[in-house]
Amino acid sequence: MFHRSELQLNRDSARRFIPFMVAAMVYLATLALAGAVMVGSTVDRWSEGLRGTLTVQLPGGRGDSSIAETAARTDTAVSLLLETPGIATAQPVPASDLETLLEPWLGKGNLPADLPIPVLIDVTLESGVRIDLVALQRSLSGAVPGARVSDNGVYLERLVRLARSVQLVAGVVMLLVALAAVAIIVFATRAGLSMHRETIELLHLIGARDAYIARQFVTNALWHGLLGGLIGVLLAAATVAALGVIAGEVALPIGGMQLPEQISLSLALWLVGGLFIPAVAGVVAMATARLTVMRTLRQVL
Amino acid sequence: MHAILPGQRNGERNDVVRFENVGVRYGSGPEILRDISFELEGGSFHFLTGPSGAGKTSLLKLMYLAQRPTRGLVRLFGRDVTVLKRPELPPLRRRIGVVFQDFRLINHLTALENVALPLRIAGARKEQIEAHVTELLSWVGLSGQVNAKPPTLSDGEKQRVAIARAVIGRPSLLLADEPTGNIDLDQGLRILRLFEELNKIGTTVVIATHDRSLVSTFRRPELRLQDGDLTLNRPAPAGGDRLRRADPLAGA
Repeated sequence: MFHRSELQLNRDSARRFIPFMVAAMVYLATLALAGAVMVGSTVDRWSEGLRGTLTVQLPGGRGDSSIAETAARTDTAVSLLLETPGIATAQPVPASDLETLLEPWLGKGNLPADLPIPVLIDVTLESGVRIDLVALQRSLSGAVPGARVSDNGVYLERLVRLARSVQLVAGVVMLLVALAAVAIIVFATRAGLSMHRETIELLHLIGARDAYIARQFVTNALWHGLLGGLIGVLLAAATVAALGVIAGEVALPIGGMQLPEQISLSLALWLVGGLFIPAVAGVVAMATARLTVMRTLRQVL
Repeated sequence: MHAILPGQRNGERNDVVRFENVGVRYGSGPEILRDISFELEGGSFHFLTGPSGAGKTSLLKLMYLAQRPTRGLVRLFGRDVTVLKRPELPPLRRRIGVVFQDFRLINHLTALENVALPLRIAGARKEQIEAHVTELLSWVGLSGQVNAKPPTLSDGEKQRVAIARAVIGRPSLLLADEPTGNIDLDQGLRILRLFEELNKIGTTVVIATHDRSLVSTFRRPELRLQDGDLTLNRPAPAGGDRLRRADPLAGA
């Protein structure tokens, strides 16, 4: 006895679509959120790798005579760099590594002997130190004509700016999707109130408070939110996993960057999201339904 | 005694219902009720009669707080209903039992659940509810239909479920709109006797009816609505006595 609610909202044909609408919204929001998290962690990885580093590029040469000259220029540049206050290490990138980097374009062992390959020197700065790049460029150019200093921080800053913009867009997408989901719940609740007007009037006349009536909508909305949220998160997880698999088949030869590690989230994150996102969807649906019922009923006697 | 008609004043009395110059109109139409003034003392029993369309249901609606008057003053249990705040309505409504003309049962709930609704809404305990409701349903002759749903019940049975729902909470004010319209004479008399029993323990009863025989059988004062105006008719003692003796259930 008394297991049935007076309104039987779960029997309304018009309300059956709600979990699927919520699932679609949660799916989109979760993808946006996952994208933002992945971009964030990628930027963190890049930052860690690039923060406090410089790259110095020297004109290179091939051939016997130029090999000796290049070595001399490299030594000069390295010792000048090491004498500069704030610089911790200066390490020339081995020629073999440079050849490996060029392999994808030129093929293995196809490097023409007379192709001048520039010398790259990886420079790390002491932590927290900012050095005067203009002065460094001037003194390096004086010692080794044609030497160029690239501050990786500049690239990093631009990358971070791009990443933050992507995250901002993801945030806006999530907000819009949440608003759309709230609007769906509001309309569905109003439709339910209108459809069950007679029963609600009866409940009022025999002494039910608005909260008693709202509770039935709230329970229904909580269930729809949780169910829709769960379906949406599972679909989003499956989508990201599938993209990860597809990305795994792409070998990117850029600086050791691997796509699979970019398009994936840890299991722990998915578990937290899998609990958190449906719970948020449920609570938002519940609060929306309650607010809608209480506001709408205030207008009747 | 019970109803006090226009012009009479009552300061200290135990009025459950009090109307002063009440008018009701829907939209820009004519007034359905005009300058209605009366008072119902606690523990009184009245019939409300009048031709169809005279405004009986509108008058009852004002009393069970389904509608506010267009003008005038309505007081229930000493409270002016025109200025009541929304949260103050439910406690007042729980003191009023209503038998609606169209029953207003919830079709997907059983007879037991329908009758239990007022108790459930008031937050009564489940065991308490079940015992009371089962007893009352058997009293109204529905012990075999406790778990039946309204669509499977006859009109008479539905009406008895509606009556049981109205009285289950032992209301202070019982309003019934044609409560015997769909049941046979014996059942009708039995229901009226239930209302009398409730009246004896203090419930104020108003029964809207077309049935002249009920009015004359039960010898209770009659509020008569005609063309939007209300008059009070008291039963003639002699005739009433004769009718009471003729009532097969009297004294049973």
